[in-house]
Amino acid sequence: MNPVRHDSLQLTTRRTFLSGAGQFSLGAIALHALQENAAASLPAAANPMLPRVTHHAAKAKRVIYLHMSGAPPHLDLFDYKPELVKHDGQNCPDSILKGRTFAFTTGVPKLMGTPRTFKRYGQAGMWMSDACPNFHTLADEITMVRSMNTDQFNHAPAELLLFTGHTRQGRPSLGSWATYGLGTENQDLPGFVTLISSGTQPSGGQGLWGSGFIPSVYQGVQCRSKGDPVLYASDPAGMSRNLRRRTLDALRELNEVQAADLGHAETVTRIAQYELAYRMQMSVPEVMDISKEPAGTLEAYGAKPGESSFANNCLLARRLVEKGVRFVQLFDWGWDFHGTSPDSGITDGLTKKMAATDKPVAALIKDLRQRGLLEDTLVIWGGEFGRTPFREGRTAASKVLGRDHYPDCFTLFMAGGGVKAGFDYGSTDELGFSVAEKKVHVHDFQATVMHLLGFNHERFTYRFQGRDYRLTDVHGHVVRDLLA
Amino acid sequence: MRCLFLSVALLMVLSGRAVTAVDFSRQIRPILSENCFFCHGPDEAKREAGLRLDDEVAAKASNDGVVAVVPGNPEKSALIQRIVSSDPDEVMPPPKQHKVIPPAQVELLKQWIREGARWGRHWSYEKVQRPPVPPVGEVRTNPLDAFLQSRLKHEKLAYGKEADARTLVRRVALDLTGLPPTLAELERFAPPGAPTPMPEGDYEKLVSHYLSLPAFGEHWAGQWLDLARYADSSGYPSDQPREIWAYRDWVVRALNKNMPFDQFTIEQMAGDLLPSPSDDQLIATAFHRNTMTQNEGGTSDEEFRVAAIVDRVNTTFAVWMGTTLACAQCHTHKYDPLTQKEYFQIYAFLNQTADADRKDESPLHEIQTAELRAQRQKLQQEAAALEKQFSALPEGWLKGYEAWLSSKPSIKDKKTAEALAAEAAKRTPEQVTLLKGHYVRQTAPEAKAERSRLNAVNKELARTKPVSVPVMRDLPAAERRKTQVQLRGNWQALGDEVNEGTPVVFPSLPEGKTRDRLALARWLVSRDNPLTARVTVNRMWESLFGTGIVRTSEEFGSQGELPIHPELLDWLAAEFMDSGWDVKHMLKLMVLTRAYRQDSRSTPELNERDPDNRLLARGPRFRPAGELLRDQALAASGLLSFKMGGPAVRPLAPNMGLTTAFGRSNDWTLSVGEDRHRRSLYTEVRRNSPYPSFSTFDAPNREVCTIRRGRTNTPLQAFVTLNDPVFIETHQAMARRVLSAADPLDLLFRLCLSRAPSAQERTTLSRLQAEALADYRSHPQEAVKMACEPLGPAPAGADVAELAAWTAVANVVMNLDEFVMRR
Repeated sequence: MNPVRHDSLQLTTRRTFLSGAGQFSLGAIALHALQENAAASLPAAANPMLPRVTHHAAKAKRVIYLHMSGAPPHLDLFDYKPELVKHDGQNCPDSILKGRTFAFTTGVPKLMGTPRTFKRYGQAGMWMSDACPNFHTLADEITMVRSMNTDQFNHAPAELLLFTGHTRQGRPSLGSWATYGLGTENQDLPGFVTLISSGTQPSGGQGLWGSGFIPSVYQGVQCRSKGDPVLYASDPAGMSRNLRRRTLDALRELNEVQAADLGHAETVTRIAQYELAYRMQMSVPEVMDISKEPAGTLEAYGAKPGESSFANNCLLARRLVEKGVRFVQLFDWGWDFHGTSPDSGITDGLTKKMAATDKPVAALIKDLRQRGLLEDTLVIWGGEFGRTPFREGRTAASKVLGRDHYPDCFTLFMAGGGVKAGFDYGSTDELGFSVAEKKVHVHDFQATVMHLLGFNHERFTYRFQGRDYRLTDVHGHVVRDLLA
Repeated sequence: MRCLFLSVALLMVLSGRAVTAVDFSRQIRPILSENCFFCHGPDEAKREAGLRLDDEVAAKASNDGVVAVVPGNPEKSALIQRIVSSDPDEVMPPPKQHKVIPPAQVELLKQWIREGARWGRHWSYEKVQRPPVPPVGEVRTNPLDAFLQSRLKHEKLAYGKEADARTLVRRVALDLTGLPPTLAELERFAPPGAPTPMPEGDYEKLVSHYLSLPAFGEHWAGQWLDLARYADSSGYPSDQPREIWAYRDWVVRALNKNMPFDQFTIEQMAGDLLPSPSDDQLIATAFHRNTMTQNEGGTSDEEFRVAAIVDRVNTTFAVWMGTTLACAQCHTHKYDPLTQKEYFQIYAFLNQTADADRKDESPLHEIQTAELRAQRQKLQQEAAALEKQFSALPEGWLKGYEAWLSSKPSIKDKKTAEALAAEAAKRTPEQVTLLKGHYVRQTAPEAKAERSRLNAVNKELARTKPVSVPVMRDLPAAERRKTQVQLRGNWQALGDEVNEGTPVVFPSLPEGKTRDRLALARWLVSRDNPLTARVTVNRMWESLFGTGIVRTSEEFGSQGELPIHPELLDWLAAEFMDSGWDVKHMLKLMVLTRAYRQDSRSTPELNERDPDNRLLARGPRFRPAGELLRDQALAASGLLSFKMGGPAVRPLAPNMGLTTAFGRSNDWTLSVGEDRHRRSLYTEVRRNSPYPSFSTFDAPNREVCTIRRGRTNTPLQAFVTLNDPVFIETHQAMARRVLSAADPLDLLFRLCLSRAPSAQERTTLSRLQAEALADYRSHPQEAVKMACEPLGPAPAGADVAELAAWTAVANVVMNLDEFVMRR
């Protein structure tokens, strides 16, 4: 069932509109903007991207999701395990290994305490390591969830589960659900934008921002850091802005004749979409151009105009939500800390990777706070699973320390958008092998994000192949303790 | 919820059937399915209060003294009592389900019970019977029209007028071949002054012509490849290249030779199990080798082999039976009588092939023509002879050996370098052989001719490497796998062992015959199978009319929508089977209807009565796929290459500057020459980075089977046809093509829209052309860019400013709603 009962509203609008004998109004234009086959589940009477009513008042009006593709080593960043340090180098207990398989570890691995130094930060005394100095300054802003848990220990299925609620391809992504439910606040920009840094797309592929079986207007628009940010938004070489306007005028004039002659709403929709495209040609490059940001801001983020970096993407995320984009999804590659090379080691490798990460994230959260946006913008930072409390098997003899994939426990943090500030939630056991209390499965996490956006995840569905699908499949409970 | 409400409402509003006897299958079962089956349906594990409403006996039996359905007495029926109850603890569906049965439907339920609560099976599970064709006044009416017209008459509606000849030529050409008509075809089938309606005989010739073109197979293959989830890469994060294009070409060939659909099915499902299968029959089995392969490090091959088999089960049932069997992978189906055990009985049929999520995609079938085989054999023999000669280390070639040794040559190969470094006296015989071998193969001047010949032969062998294609191959009897139910769909949690079998709700397999993939394939296309023919003709209808007779072409089960023309659907299904599964015959029947030939203009009244044109009181009109839009632009501008088949090609694409996870760059090296302008069917399909402009027009990424594409209308699509260099190139080519004509605008319109421009169109576009020309005269540098990037330098002596101005005009005409729509 849709969050809002638009059935009658839509029928009324459709009737009013169509009986108007060729008098087309903009409000009715997008009737056919959705595919006809989705008519059964049309979320809104008019424009599919118009802001819409939710099940309950939304605490978060927009989301910035910072995903570290590969799974950050939570035991070396947030989840401090002194007992593990004490038992460093000992054989991993049989009771833990029994009946389990790991991605790259066979036999009996050695427990590995963190080589990092941990301290408590902020009023809540939140544990963090020396690897992420700029996160220390966020301790009073964020909710740290230390009891995250997933079912998958390979990257692609785990990322699919996290972002689509299902381990295989084909379901709508978190961002597309949000956009389907909420539309966008700025019609001149895409409602859902994806930005990718460090040169590689995430393992889960484009399905992580795809729309699955819901209409493709809700899929994430991947913006590039070089060339047109949105594909083909630039006019062809040799066509002046003035000529583009004149070609569009001619096009509209001729299409309007057709619309009157044919009597199809879709022709009118097409006219509107070309006009919208024209406006986007202005608004997209403008919002994607960070060169006019004050030097202080660029410095705070570590952003450099003209480059492609996670820092630039963080700054872009702020600019996009500020302009009313509903969901900004960042992916950063290079978080698979196996220890197979110095860059993927949890000592120097992690320090280096974090240096390009924690500063822009801290700057982003503070910038949002300062602009009064943090209150209703949900920021999420995390990976797709955790890493083992033992050394990765393949690299056990190398000088570089690394950890294998681990689904049972991981940590992520959230800020703003209706979650508590300076709050530690859940914990793992002494050695970090399982959640000790307040387990949060990825479906619970998704249910909570949906709740913050104003939706009951059990009722927020889309009918496909005769079944009402939802982000959380048939699982998930809202973690009310996290709500501010 | 809404879809059900709409379909029931539509039936009531459009047909006025509510006043006649209530039809269980079409009116009651959907209400029960939507609101009750989840807890009171086929799934025993989830069944509440022991009540089952999908089964007549159970629904009418006493259940602790309570009877859900008491025929003739709605008031005594617990079903009604509970639905109308105002007690929150009593009312059904329970409030937590967030479902409310609208009063009109409650009335229907009551009326049905009052009329005796007659039961029936779900409509699509009934065997296909050919219904009588309703009598319509006119003689020689196409039976399809008879069904449609009798329904229209009932609604007090009638067909609209017929489209003019030129519109029809473009419509038929686009629908049957995916390409616009050529000028010669227009001239032949719709010369100036051609009458409307088009004479019957002329129209039939037109249809036969397009059915006979090779482009027919290319166009319809595109749709089949969505079902087959065809891609040129393996999927999952690393998304390795996969050589499987021979299967794509097989589909084109099969369609072009009008292979009967039952054979088309059998060859793809089980061509390898036919007696002495031909190359083609083996290639056809690549249908189910289009599943993804997981090459990410640390993943279990068995886990992903299982995932591939699950995908094959789901795809088989989705494609042929319009049934989402997928639900039953984890639990017994909530709405349709399909159990989890039955799911794994189907799985068992598909669980016996040798493929196992391997990186090399084995088993592969190599395709070589006899000629190629002979050629390669000769080369291989020659290479072997030369190798032998080198290995013999002839004295005559070793004259300079000692001198070479003392020159201390640098050697890359580690072992040989070690041999050289060793003291001469201490070298082992193997080391000496190694050094001599290296010398004759790399250096000896006496062996120069043989050396270069061996190189050439090896190069030629590499060049003539046979094409391979992953195929289905059954395991030897000793290695057959045991199939067990996977509890909750978890591949490691195994339950009872099961054998091959088909769900009991469907006709059974022949007794005493082998139960293998071939048996399953034959079962799919048996005359008794209630779904395959219905599902397939419905898909054809959808391709031609924009919407299927069953709108949810992917779902024919309880939760799907009901057919808008049930008798027509059954008649078509019967005709399809009785004609010997003749695909072209069915398409021709549909295209020859008067319904299809109507003008697509609508009126406010019609838009209100039937906004989605389900009743067909006007001609169908819809936006075609992105692939067709590109092909149309290429063809109209004259850039299109008609070369068929072969390896995938890489047309212009934007650089994204990203690699796939653990894989190669997403950006590709462009094809050269005509391969840049091949039909979109041949564009390389990479699952992790699908061709962006096709995705923008709702193309799936082919990870899983897609039965029905969306048809959105977005500003990003406008960017593609306005600015994508692929489309700009066609506008530039179009400018060059029309500029030499006496009346460029007239030619431009005929090429794109199959008609001449109107006076108003002339005025508007001539003004645009004149203004643009003035601009470009004063900015010649800009004119060069507009006319030549990316197409290439203008022909010698061309007026570049004119070309640029006409490029701008083509940019407008090739973005007109009329061009982007098939009408």
